[in-house]
Amino acid sequence: MKRFRTTPIWAPWFFMGPFLFVFLTFTTYPLFQSIVLAVQQTFGPEYSAFVGLENFRFLLSDPRFWKALKNTAFFASGSICIQLPIALALAMLLNRPSLKGRALFRLVFFAPSLIGMVFVGMIFRLIFEKRTGLLNVVLHSIFPAFDLEFPWLDTYLMPALILAALWMHAGFYMVFFLAALQNVSKDQLEAASIDGAGPWQRFRHVILPAIAPVASFICLLSIIGSFQLFELPYVLLDNTGGPQDRGLTIVMYLYETGFEIGDLGYASAIGWVLALILVGLATIQRTFSRKEEQ
Amino acid sequence: MHFFRTLFERIPPGLAVILFLAIFSGSVLSFKKMTELEDLEMWTFSRNHLPAYKPFIKKWNKEHPDQQFSLSLLNGRALERRLLSGFFSGTPVADAVETVMRTAHHSFAGPIDAIGFRDLTDRLKEEGLMDEINGPSFGPWTNRGRIFGIPHDVHPVLLAYRSDIVEDAGIDVSQIETWDDYFRIMKPLMKDNDGDGRPDRYLINVWDTIGGYLLLLMEQADGQLFDEEGNATIDSPINIKTMATMITWIAGPNRVGLEMKSNYASDYQLMLDGTIVGFFMPDWLIGKLRQNVPGLAGKLKVMPLPAWTPGGRRTAVTGGSVLGFPKASPNFEIAWKLGKQLYLSEELAVNLFETASIITPVKRFWDNPIFDQPEPFLSGQAVGRMLIEQAPDVPTRTSSPYLDLATKHLVNAAGNIKQYAIRNNKFTVEELLPETKRQMQIAQKHVETQMYRNVFLNKPQ
Repeated sequence: MKRFRTTPIWAPWFFMGPFLFVFLTFTTYPLFQSIVLAVQQTFGPEYSAFVGLENFRFLLSDPRFWKALKNTAFFASGSICIQLPIALALAMLLNRPSLKGRALFRLVFFAPSLIGMVFVGMIFRLIFEKRTGLLNVVLHSIFPAFDLEFPWLDTYLMPALILAALWMHAGFYMVFFLAALQNVSKDQLEAASIDGAGPWQRFRHVILPAIAPVASFICLLSIIGSFQLFELPYVLLDNTGGPQDRGLTIVMYLYETGFEIGDLGYASAIGWVLALILVGLATIQRTFSRKEEQ
Repeated sequence: MHFFRTLFERIPPGLAVILFLAIFSGSVLSFKKMTELEDLEMWTFSRNHLPAYKPFIKKWNKEHPDQQFSLSLLNGRALERRLLSGFFSGTPVADAVETVMRTAHHSFAGPIDAIGFRDLTDRLKEEGLMDEINGPSFGPWTNRGRIFGIPHDVHPVLLAYRSDIVEDAGIDVSQIETWDDYFRIMKPLMKDNDGDGRPDRYLINVWDTIGGYLLLLMEQADGQLFDEEGNATIDSPINIKTMATMITWIAGPNRVGLEMKSNYASDYQLMLDGTIVGFFMPDWLIGKLRQNVPGLAGKLKVMPLPAWTPGGRRTAVTGGSVLGFPKASPNFEIAWKLGKQLYLSEELAVNLFETASIITPVKRFWDNPIFDQPEPFLSGQAVGRMLIEQAPDVPTRTSSPYLDLATKHLVNAAGNIKQYAIRNNKFTVEELLPETKRQMQIAQKHVETQMYRNVFLNKPQ
């Protein structure tokens, strides 16, 4: 039977129009413009000079870029290797029906993620402050020999950043894991128990495969979030990269280059390299998770 | 019609409400007449300056009904972003903008004719303002020989000290002339009161992480990070020697320095509990402390900064604001008239000193008796007069869009030298000089690499 079109041909375009307009104006155009910028040096739109791949060449030899990349990668691996297992452990703990006050604990662990990153930075700055910081004051009062001036942010800058991010994000990721755990088949768990599987075997062979897609998604989320790290070190380190740039991240360097030095061309080049790194990591992660699923 | 009927039948009520609101609000906005901004605008970043400006603007508006100014307080960073965006796009922003060094310097990163502020050099000369205003105050607003703003202040730096502690110990500060004198005479105050093997008092707030104070001391010693032509001079001999000396203050057995800025409650606590005995006191900090740390009233006194060498400079400079006029403003003449009246008003100079302890750069007002009044917060000292005595001698600063970057590298260098000193147990200036030279050269190279990439300032080597 022949089918007839019941809506005019322009109808889909009419409905998609507003979205397309906004998308093309505020996403596609700036994206292409940033490619143009990456091969230029500019001082506002009126003054620009074509420099070819000079920005990318300079980036390869720029020690501060490599330092920022190294710091960011360290933070990302720290986040994934520490945050996610802790989030999963918390979720498993709070998934136990026998635990009293589960709702309260869930709220307590989730609450830090309701606070903005800027406030987390400010709170941890007060904690790690020399002399008047909470950590040093407490340690000094317990162990009088402990140096009140111990510079946590000079000595353990990256661990401090990872700890602050852990405090903020662990509860957030916990909620995802909790949702995934609640979908694990109870029948399968019971069957495994009847077959004599212990808690570790049940976790390894039943729970983990069941939550793998969610874990994979959280992993990707965490990698992307870590590579975009900006506000936390910016506030914690008072708009510097910290001592010897040990807290400088790629996005901080991009911001400093583009908006403090005013070199938008070089900042665009950094942005594109960051985007390529993220695409690469996402591709690797997807490849691995597909293999797992198969 | 059939299409619309089908459409309405199929639209769920929730979507209908959203669509209605979107269409209604969109229509209201499209038909609403744009409000014309009739007022002239002045922006400032400073909450401290505001109380002094408000009555002035009110008076101006009363006297000039057809040239009404509105005064807006903007966060410093927000002001910078808006101003630079306006400069880059040629969009009119405010007619007069009071801003800080950092913002002005960032606007200097392009060709000279692309700087968004109006070049005031000829105007300042023609109207005699160059002679009327303290010379060194023009430094940060001068780029490639041209001046882009009217300086707001001088910001001479004195040394504040906890007079109660110092006088109780029977120390006479009049014997202090140099930094060596200061540390020698004050050293007995560095006692270990709680028996943990570490002093509980320190003599000065110098630390490797506080770039502003490292720079302040370098400038006091006649050093600069950039010369007048904009070339980086981070590794100049005077900077190297000053840096090596400062490292001996913060590392090793003769350490006298403590990390303390002047922005946070924790800093105020260090002042209050006497952990820090002496600290840098620019004029603006007096007003800030008077407001934020009233508990220090009567416990502080100020003295001229100790010099680096006998007979040397007894002051330094830090911070600074300027009134600039964006080129894109069509109302320059009116804004200039207001700016001149505002910054050259004796009434405002007095008000600014009374409310914020800031000294005017206009030299003819320095005889005003207000500056001789005793300041109860500083144990009755005539601090205005003390600041004015030092004002002509403040170091002349230079401007560069790379100053922030250079300061960051200076901080990195200081941290590396401190680590080197601790690792190798080297705590004298002579021992530290070779490593200091090496680190300062590295900092210089990093900054030059960035500078030489700038095709608009273009100084290839």
